[in-house]
Amino acid sequence: MLLFRSEEMVDRWCRNWGLPRGAILSPATCWTLAREWYHDRRDPRWRRRTVDEARALFNRLGLIEDFWKLN
Amino acid sequence: MFEDSAFRLRIYDEIVRTGETPVVATLARLVGASLDDVRASLRRMHDAHMLVLEPTGEILMANPFSAVPTPFLAEVGGRRWFGNCVWDALGIIATLHADGRVLASCGSSGERMELSVSDGVLAGQGIVHFALPARQWWEDIVFN
Repeated sequence: MLLFRSEEMVDRWCRNWGLPRGAILSPATCWTLAREWYHDRRDPRWRRRTVDEARALFNRLGLIEDFWKLN
Repeated sequence: MFEDSAFRLRIYDEIVRTGETPVVATLARLVGASLDDVRASLRRMHDAHMLVLEPTGEILMANPFSAVPTPFLAEVGGRRWFGNCVWDALGIIATLHADGRVLASCGSSGERMELSVSDGVLAGQGIVHFALPARQWWEDIVFN
């Protein structure tokens, strides 16, 4: 997951790698995702999220396109 | 049997304390275990997608932390750690439950970029691009 100055910079990167454009997030949404995903990483009770839990998180953040489907 | 859960926390504590990801030999000394037991525990966690190992068996990623330098530096309280990507660099700030900033560069132009978090609110310019669909993330976690 890379940070770019603009959508034009994303398209240039995709051309260079021969890849289609993936998903674009604002830094604020990425921060919310990072906070939800990692806030408990040093908690002794941490365990890897299940697919259902990850899906619920994506849904809460409005990440509902096919790109975010996990299976 | 080596207890993976407590060992996992010890790894994270060491990364936070030192700013560097410990190698197998260091971990063995830290927990008073054999190299083989440490390697076996790391392999189990790698297989469970709890961290990512180099082919050598050393830790490459204890997400969100990267063992190697990347263009995504998280700075908290004047201390710095490398994240695996921009999501993970922000994740370091989240993991440490503190204000901080991410010093990064544009994935195309290389121009310097910065995101900052203050009182839980993010400020900064730019856009984040996820190249691979979520279902493929662990198929190529290093590229991703």
